[in-house]
Amino acid sequence: MLGRLRDGAVVLLLVLAAVFVLSAIVGDPAGVMAPTDASEEEIARIAHQLGTDRPLLTQAGDYFGGVVTGDLGESTWQNRPALDVIADALPATIRLTLAGIAVAALLGVTFGVLAGARPGSRLDRWANVVATVGLSVPTFWLGLLLIVVFAVQLRLVPTSGDTEWKSLILPAATVGFEHGGRIFQLVRSAVAEEVSKPYVLVARSRGLSHRGVVGRHVLRNSGMLILTTVGWEYVRLWGGAVFAVEVVFAWPGIGQTIITATDRQDFPVVQAGVIVAGAFVVLANLAVDVLYRVVDRRVQVA
Amino acid sequence: MSAVTVPSVVPDEGEGVGVAARLRSRVARGRGALRGRGYLVWVFVLLVIAAFAVFGDLLAPIDPALQAPRDRLLGPMSSTDSGLHVFGTDQLGRDLFGRVIVGTRLTVVIALASMVAGSLVGTAAGLVAGFYGGPVDRLVSRVAEAQTAMPMFLIAILLVSLVGASVVNLVIVLPTLVWPSFARIVRAETLRLRQAGFMEAAVVVGGSNGWIMGRHLLPNLATRIVTLTVVSTGQVILAEAGLSFLGAGVQAPDTTWGLLVSTGREYLAVAWWLTIVPGVFLVLTVLALNMLGRRYTDDRGAAA
Repeated sequence: MLGRLRDGAVVLLLVLAAVFVLSAIVGDPAGVMAPTDASEEEIARIAHQLGTDRPLLTQAGDYFGGVVTGDLGESTWQNRPALDVIADALPATIRLTLAGIAVAALLGVTFGVLAGARPGSRLDRWANVVATVGLSVPTFWLGLLLIVVFAVQLRLVPTSGDTEWKSLILPAATVGFEHGGRIFQLVRSAVAEEVSKPYVLVARSRGLSHRGVVGRHVLRNSGMLILTTVGWEYVRLWGGAVFAVEVVFAWPGIGQTIITATDRQDFPVVQAGVIVAGAFVVLANLAVDVLYRVVDRRVQVA
Repeated sequence: MSAVTVPSVVPDEGEGVGVAARLRSRVARGRGALRGRGYLVWVFVLLVIAAFAVFGDLLAPIDPALQAPRDRLLGPMSSTDSGLHVFGTDQLGRDLFGRVIVGTRLTVVIALASMVAGSLVGTAAGLVAGFYGGPVDRLVSRVAEAQTAMPMFLIAILLVSLVGASVVNLVIVLPTLVWPSFARIVRAETLRLRQAGFMEAAVVVGGSNGWIMGRHLLPNLATRIVTLTVVSTGQVILAEAGLSFLGAGVQAPDTTWGLLVSTGREYLAVAWWLTIVPGVFLVLTVLALNMLGRRYTDDRGAAA
């Protein structure tokens, strides 16, 4: 368990270090943020403002200190702390990811269990095909396709933004289809493996119905794996999958904020967004992992 | 190895032990045989894409660079002086079909370059880890795990915001998405093969480590590596498209399918084909790769 926590801390440090190396050594934030026709002096002034003209060690100290105290610089476009800009966008992203994962879990777990309970059945084969399609479709393109059909042609829902409850339908469906596909595949193979175990045959030979065995024993045994799978898919969303969906639907979350900030050369906001989302991914991954090990004693804690 | 099953690229089929499972897998095998030659469709799709990538605009029915301001945003199957625009025209009156064909090459080149880099690094790392074991193995496994846990997509966006979007960035970032799965699977297979009789024989005849790995281990890993490559290529194509869509990948005048979808988006309300058509090519290509990869895993499951 401690090993897990240590690994998580190492990865978190790696992410933070990668952000620092990119911004302080590889890139030149001042050059990026300055207007294209800026003079040398102007760039130097911006660099001084950002602190990027100081020795690397001082910068590193400031950077990590800033991460700890929550001071990630000022947004040049909005003239307020970059972290505030990101914090304002967080609720929208949380709402979208939760709605999306709910759709994904509903589709993936339902069909995964049904298909896995009877491998080779017609339902199994069809669900497999649909899931494979789901995994082969670029998320942003699926979103655009849904906009064309349901918003532009049928006018059932708004094309973009977050204006009414119906705004959430298309983005959530977009997220749900792709991630539901992956949840389906993992749940299906977990259930199929469980169903092939001898105890299922024993229970059947004692007269229990197949449905009864699946409902009473198989589900209970693969339940943890199913939960973890959903947890992992949720984390994966934060790793960038949801950002493209936000951009497609002009959803006011952090993905949209980061991409807009990139266009506006508002580097501190980009950096703050990447740090917040990155830290969330690492910590949530760790949480899912630890939870899995705590609840399921059969998995040896490394 | 972590005891938790990290979602692997290739879904493992559960190995049946019970009589029922054996029966069921026999049923599945029968159906698999009936499904038979369906995979040829997907092979054909990939061949067409490969032809687009190799011959490029030579295959385009209408010169894709030809701009015709008067024929802007024409729908699919419209005819103009230059001929039939099967997929319509774009905002500059260029033939969309031709643009898609031209975009194929860079899409494929980026995917292949990233796959070569990623699979080489991953295979070498996995081979060395599995063969030497001990501290080498621990180091490689740790690094691979850390890499999997890193949100590379986010880091790519940060990189691009600093140094600007370019194909080079893509070829740096995309391999990091694939090498850990190669390392993990090659390592596991190498560990398994190390127990085999031929390995003992190779050591007994005095073979060097490099010779054993290159001539004995690698050939035995080949099929596994090929399947993984097929499926991962699809994922790399999707990642490239995603980054290009977000403006973090390929930039005009270069073009890929992902970028075509992205530019078409501005005209979504008036010219849906600009967005939908290039995406269909993306879906077909990735679907073909996934279907072929899955077919192979199915066969392997049935043969076991």
